[in-house]
Amino acid sequence: MNTEDQNIFTLLKEVIDPELMVNIIDLGLVYGVRLDKDKKEIVIDLTLTSPGCPLGEVIIEDAQQIISKIYPNFKVKVNLVWEPAWSLKNLTPEGRIALGSV
Amino acid sequence: MQGVASHNVPSPAVVVPHFIFGGLALLVISLLIVVEPSIFTQHFINPKLLAVTHLTVLGWITMIIFGALYQLIPVIMEVKLYSEKLAKISFILLALGAICLSYSFWNFDIGTEMYFSAVFIIIAVVFFVINVTATSIKSTKESIERTFIVTAVVWLLFTVFAGLALVINLTHPFLKPTQVALIKLHAHAGIIGWFFQLIIGVSSRLLPMFMVSHNLNKKKLKATYYLLNLGLLLGIFSLYNNWQIGVNIAIISVVLSILFYLSFLLEAYKKRIRKHLDIGMKQSVLSFLILLIPLLLILLLVFGFNSLKNSTQPIIIAYGSTIVLGFITSLILGQTYKTLPFIIWLKVYRNRVGKGKIPLPKELYSEKIATIQLWSFSVGFIILLAGIFMQSDNLVRLGGIILVLTILLYNYNSLKIILHKPKKTNK
Repeated sequence: MNTEDQNIFTLLKEVIDPELMVNIIDLGLVYGVRLDKDKKEIVIDLTLTSPGCPLGEVIIEDAQQIISKIYPNFKVKVNLVWEPAWSLKNLTPEGRIALGSV
Repeated sequence: MQGVASHNVPSPAVVVPHFIFGGLALLVISLLIVVEPSIFTQHFINPKLLAVTHLTVLGWITMIIFGALYQLIPVIMEVKLYSEKLAKISFILLALGAICLSYSFWNFDIGTEMYFSAVFIIIAVVFFVINVTATSIKSTKESIERTFIVTAVVWLLFTVFAGLALVINLTHPFLKPTQVALIKLHAHAGIIGWFFQLIIGVSSRLLPMFMVSHNLNKKKLKATYYLLNLGLLLGIFSLYNNWQIGVNIAIISVVLSILFYLSFLLEAYKKRIRKHLDIGMKQSVLSFLILLIPLLLILLLVFGFNSLKNSTQPIIIAYGSTIVLGFITSLILGQTYKTLPFIIWLKVYRNRVGKGKIPLPKELYSEKIATIQLWSFSVGFIILLAGIFMQSDNLVRLGGIILVLTILLYNYNSLKIILHKPKKTNK
């Protein structure tokens, strides 16, 4: 992962799942980040803990807004992906502590 | 966007009035328990208890279910609600019907007023059924949860028409069974076919979502569905034809179905990734523990022991009360904190997401008050139940007073959520 991608990951820590009250990086919802300088595009692969999650759109918008503020000249695209399905294994140690799953 | 349901949610103007009316109806119900505790210590068919029962099942439970379903259907079926206008008309008619019907029962006035109330309720339900069915048709997502909801709606329709037939039968008898058998039939179609089935359909999706539980055995839900509906059909046929063996088999089938469901929930609870339960989930867990009481009571009533014969009346009232005022009321009190804050939060903060610091939905109500509410409900309900069993008006009244305080706390928190305004500094 290059420095820019790492920076985007760090920024996405500000996006909080409003129900679980844990950020989406520690929840392991972000599957991948790609910054294309030529296309001026940032692509984020994101999943949700459950299909049909009523707050999915809010999380996506939150991610787009936060990244757009730092990269105003880039188009931010969020891909909602369901494979592989989200599971306990996705949680970071911090995420596990926040959910009490340790 | 596939799998994203928040752009399907209806306007809060559709959902919120249901919660306001429901909360006020529950306050009136608890006040009536304080004013007339003796209605819980008499024969179970007394006009004032029927009034309280109908205000509870229509003005409180069905009202909240209608409102919550308009919000939850997009989550479960992943489509937009068919018509918001129809939902608003249905709300007005249900509110009028619930008030008038309860008033008629309170005064035992089986006349024009009661007929009009029944017609209001039937039209409200028909509009609701059209809305849910038309929404369900739009959804391509097949699931057992959707099947539960659609079947529950069919039973709701049956229940209200059975209710109208009961009213007509009171003044112009045309049905073969006794009025008591018909009341049992009407009540169980509503409790099991409508309430239980709807609750199972919605909660089997939402509770694992809230607890973040995965890889659950959905075969248990299928077993629940078939045992519950076959049992209910057999029970209604048997009650109508006064066939006791059929009633007994039906009860075993329904009790088994609920045990299958509780086993599904227990599995979700054990497999939950989110170990910390918030206050809404704690009250919901309490509800499912309360549900064990009526299961035990119905088995006692039907396969009763001779020593219990003198206690039949209090057991019947306790059975109904633990379902309606215990299990379902507690579940709604808890799940309000899981739905209402999100409805308002989405309305207030939807356009501010990612643009600055905003509160979390949980911060829209007082958790301290919600915690006191959970404890006071538990104490009030236990005292009410003790009063029913011991046929003590004083205990019933004391339980009622504690429940009034509980509902005041609940309504305070609900209004705090509904009236939430963003702080100026957040702009």
